[in-house]
Amino acid sequence: MKRKLSDSGLENGLAGSTPKRPRRALVQANGAVNGHAPTQSPPNDTATYELPPNQSTPKKSNSVAATPLKESGLKTPTHKSRAKNLFATPTKPKTPAGGTPARLKNADRSAKKKSARVLFEHDDDAEWDGSEQLAAEILQEDEEDDFEPPKESGDATKVVESVEGEGEGEGEANAEKPKGKDAKAPKRRAGRPKGAKNKRSPTPEGELPAHERYFFQNRAGTGKTSNTTLNKVPLLTHEEYFEKLGHLVDPCKEEKDYLLTLHHRSFAQWNFEFEEGYNICLYGYGSKRRLVQGFADWVYQHSVSDNPPIVIVNGYTPGISIRSIFAMIAAALMGDDLPSKLGSQPTEVLELLQSALSNRPIHEGPVTVLINSVDAPPLRRATNQALLARLAATPRIRLLVTADTPNFTVMWDISLRDQLNFVFHDGTTFTPFAVESDVVEEVNGLLGRKGQRAGGKDGVGFVLKSLPENARNLYRLLLTEIITIMDDGHQSDDEGGADSHKAPDEHGIEFRLLYQKATEEFIASSEMMFRTLLKEFHDHQMITSRMDPSGVEILGVPLSRDEMEGVLEDLVLG
Amino acid sequence: MDPDGLEDAMDLSKDRSQNQGVYIYQPAKSGKAAGERPSKRRKVSSTNMKKDLSESPAFMPLLNGDETPECVQLRFDTYKQLWSDQENKIQNILEDVDAGVLTDVLSFVRETSPQTSDGCIPTGLVTVGSNVSSLSRLLSRLNDQLKSTNEGGVVVLESGDAPNLKTSLKNIIRAAVTNTEGNDGYQRFLTDRSGPRVLGYDLDLLYDYVQRRGTKKLVLALRDSEAFDPALLTDLFSLFKSWLDRIPFTVILGISTSVELFEGRLPRSCVSLLQGQHFEVQEAGNCVDRIYEALQTRADGQIWIGRNITSTLFEKASDYFQTPEAFSRIVKYAFMSHFFANPLSVLLGNPDPSVLPQGRFCEAIRNLPSFQMFCEDLLEAGSANESRNMIQDDKYLLRAAFDHVEAGQQAMRHIFSAVLLIHTCLQHTQATKKTTISDLSVRALAGELGESPLVEDMLATVRTMDSGKLTEVLNTLPNLADDSPLTVIQADLQALLETYADSLPLSSEYNINSSVVKTTVVQQRVLLTKGKANLPTQDIEYTKVVDRLVAALQEYFTETLIRPQDLFMHEAFLFDLRNPLKETFTPRPRFAIERALTSPFDYLISTVETGARISAKQPAGAILYQLYLESGALINVHDLWQAFYGVYESDQGKKVDEREVMALFYGALSDLKMFGMVKNSRKKTDHLAKAAWMGL
Repeated sequence: MKRKLSDSGLENGLAGSTPKRPRRALVQANGAVNGHAPTQSPPNDTATYELPPNQSTPKKSNSVAATPLKESGLKTPTHKSRAKNLFATPTKPKTPAGGTPARLKNADRSAKKKSARVLFEHDDDAEWDGSEQLAAEILQEDEEDDFEPPKESGDATKVVESVEGEGEGEGEANAEKPKGKDAKAPKRRAGRPKGAKNKRSPTPEGELPAHERYFFQNRAGTGKTSNTTLNKVPLLTHEEYFEKLGHLVDPCKEEKDYLLTLHHRSFAQWNFEFEEGYNICLYGYGSKRRLVQGFADWVYQHSVSDNPPIVIVNGYTPGISIRSIFAMIAAALMGDDLPSKLGSQPTEVLELLQSALSNRPIHEGPVTVLINSVDAPPLRRATNQALLARLAATPRIRLLVTADTPNFTVMWDISLRDQLNFVFHDGTTFTPFAVESDVVEEVNGLLGRKGQRAGGKDGVGFVLKSLPENARNLYRLLLTEIITIMDDGHQSDDEGGADSHKAPDEHGIEFRLLYQKATEEFIASSEMMFRTLLKEFHDHQMITSRMDPSGVEILGVPLSRDEMEGVLEDLVLG
Repeated sequence: MDPDGLEDAMDLSKDRSQNQGVYIYQPAKSGKAAGERPSKRRKVSSTNMKKDLSESPAFMPLLNGDETPECVQLRFDTYKQLWSDQENKIQNILEDVDAGVLTDVLSFVRETSPQTSDGCIPTGLVTVGSNVSSLSRLLSRLNDQLKSTNEGGVVVLESGDAPNLKTSLKNIIRAAVTNTEGNDGYQRFLTDRSGPRVLGYDLDLLYDYVQRRGTKKLVLALRDSEAFDPALLTDLFSLFKSWLDRIPFTVILGISTSVELFEGRLPRSCVSLLQGQHFEVQEAGNCVDRIYEALQTRADGQIWIGRNITSTLFEKASDYFQTPEAFSRIVKYAFMSHFFANPLSVLLGNPDPSVLPQGRFCEAIRNLPSFQMFCEDLLEAGSANESRNMIQDDKYLLRAAFDHVEAGQQAMRHIFSAVLLIHTCLQHTQATKKTTISDLSVRALAGELGESPLVEDMLATVRTMDSGKLTEVLNTLPNLADDSPLTVIQADLQALLETYADSLPLSSEYNINSSVVKTTVVQQRVLLTKGKANLPTQDIEYTKVVDRLVAALQEYFTETLIRPQDLFMHEAFLFDLRNPLKETFTPRPRFAIERALTSPFDYLISTVETGARISAKQPAGAILYQLYLESGALINVHDLWQAFYGVYESDQGKKVDEREVMALFYGALSDLKMFGMVKNSRKKTDHLAKAAWMGL
């Protein structure tokens, strides 16, 4: 609760400063008061205590109390907080645990002043995030406190708690609440526990219209998040991700299946739309591959002709080209009559396709083309979409596409929309996008852990197996050096814990140095040869290379430390 | 643990198809049901089964599958027949609209040559405005014309075909040759040449072709001229210019903005190569109105689209550009929906009553709101017997339904002929803003036209008309039934005019000229009194005629302009469901995804009632999205993860495997990334920036 106050006070004065420092300042300020006039503090306290809560406090006294706060608020917490995140347990008070009752009272007093001020200086912001209400609560609470006989022991624990509450940084609203929350919260790591929606909750109270919510969440000074990082949480590797996924039981399996059967019921309708010359676009949350597969089955079974040509395209496949799609459709259409040499331009293939279609006997059915994830990056480009639109406009081509992203319609302008002639259906399935996206890679990219090689440890090991002895030795050398450097780094800058945990490819070895070592170990006899070996690694994304500010080329390995050690182990043992 | 479970959960099928970019569908060989069915089908398919399939329409039996095949067939046939009728009309309208420009462009192409245009490339500049599709129609018809007379052909080039000069030349040459020779012809053309082999982009090839075919006009049309690279256009045109003595090029540029803007983008040197003429295509809005009019106001119309759809259609047309084709497609879809899903639509096919299934079909009729209204009206009118019959006797009901469908259709036709009448009248009475048929139709379909100020104003204007104008109006009015009072009035008016032939034009007392303003000065104050001038007798008689006319019109309007929704059985011939149409043509994919994520149980009909807003019973994506919604513009991933984990832990207690939950977290997070809702933030380590706000 005290935290809240100091913060709401800050909010009025200095938005944007982090909350930690003010606390220390507050403690210091209070300590100073104590130090100078320890005996005077009780009367001082009572004086403030007796301020009737709902009377507006004189402005003057307010400003006096608030001044030290404001000044110190300018300083931002730096390494301290980081160190705390790593090492400090939340309960450990920062300052020597000299929480005397007087200090507490000072804190309380200051809190009360703040509350009074918050109530006095009625502002919209406070109303939004509920700080006003909170202020009122504090004042009320103190009022009640006044009638209680002062209990030393109770107060003492309260001190610790309140300090803890503050030291927590993102802190619980007060010391009592977290107890209830802790029971529910997951294992406490450093950082803000779940559910501790503190004073400046980003979630506005009540229902707000969308635009208000936007402005609410983008107010200046709301960007306060905790400083916790994922350093202590080991991230998932590809192997572990898939292994764990295999163990999961989907709680909504039945419902999803039912949803799918509902979609299956519209197959007849879709077919009718096809017959009437429309193309179909399915959108909505979830992978629609299975749905498309089901529709392909349905079309196959209900087709008039014996072996209806159905071509399925997976738009998410990296490197897929429009030409290959057209060529496949042509192959499906013409079978053995396919000319051995198709043109290199997609338009050429398309024209071949169109002429083949127009020569196709009427009684043979149309060609069905089903495209999964038409809005996936490989197909997203405007030229590709224009070509697809021309395919869609071809008579006797039936095109069904699925789109996964929310804003896919912006891919098509009016003339494309006209050619595509889509009818849209909501095809929400809730099926995970397992094939469409490389989940682990995406998340790594999102967390700035990019550069971790797609294949991971196994991929590197696989490549290494196929490389000559020399190359393996060089890689072993590289890994050994980098791991050594990493170890050194750990010892040298201990307090910068977060730095050493940054992206692993931050660590690297100078090109020259590695070459030197390589020649020493008779791995490479000339720079030419050395470079050839490195090129091989580079082609398989097994090393990274960058220039450091002084222009020296630094070589690194895009693997996490554990993986490096694993690879090294295999290399040495194998 | 369970490999099947994994594959199910991940939607991984056993075949490798998911990793293939593109493949030809092969029916599953080792499935249970899927494996048997095709083979079974194949045994029969050669003979009768195939026949069955080709005959059976794409429609499914309705009424819980109880509909008889005859009805299904009839619905399908009626749809086919009605729509092909309408489609022809629409085609005719489109052709008619284009005809003017087509003849202009055609004569331009035929008459101009480099000689007539000072050695420049003759160029037609066609501004299409919002009517984007018109140019393709125009060009294909131009091509047909030129081809049929063996004059040459049209090559259409799109900006996508022209990334650079070589490719565009190659595409032009190929398109020109294949246009007349076909694809194989082009291949032969390339290989059968004597002399040194020429590359595909050499204009020598085209020259050869032109000589062989004796082509007189080779039209190159750029459909989206603005999208071309100006430098490329300059190169292309200067090349054409130098070949102009050998290859008879004509260029047609489709321009969506304006000629001035387009010209401004081109370098002078390029503009100086061209000499052009400007053509303008009629705006799409006009076409759309005409199509709508043709649909609704047919004298033999059987089905109408209702007010909701009309307003949706025109909203859409005014909100953004829409081609007439797109418009007619939506209308077509409305027809399709009506016949596909409404079992009553079978009544439009004039079926033999004996074919109709009595049980369920009648039940369906009895469930109509219009049936209930009708019965209540009957009761109020005191014919309880009849309404009892309607409810109890299937045959009686069917007969009544038939009659009412007929009568209702008649009423609808009357409504629209009234609309037409009002529209023609308005042409004379409205000086400035002309109200379109579609505006009037929307009001008429809502049953509001009769009392609308529009009509009142119109009648007021009619009152003030002089005789000359009135005859003009009456003559243009569409022919009504012979015995209608209007014909009588017209005759009377004619007689009147003949009697007073020397004092024309007659004017009614409502005319402003007939009222006189008297100015009297009473006690130094000016009093203005309006009074009627003394009218000559002919004018008094004329006024009587006018009064009769207006009264007759009013009566006619109140009689015909009823609310279509009040008609019994209007569900059969009036299609007015906004929904399948709106969702199908203006989807809201973002809303759909947001809805799926915020309230997943809208889609997943759950048996388990969950009290909590966020619970582990929901799909992981939905949980994460809701946590995401609660967070601010900057999100700490660690805290997000903790919150996510907390949801599972509070639900399942200690037995939950943290790493498993993390796998779910990964999946959900990558979904958000894929939807573009989060991106990496550089402000702090392990933070995400929110990139989308729900509902905005």
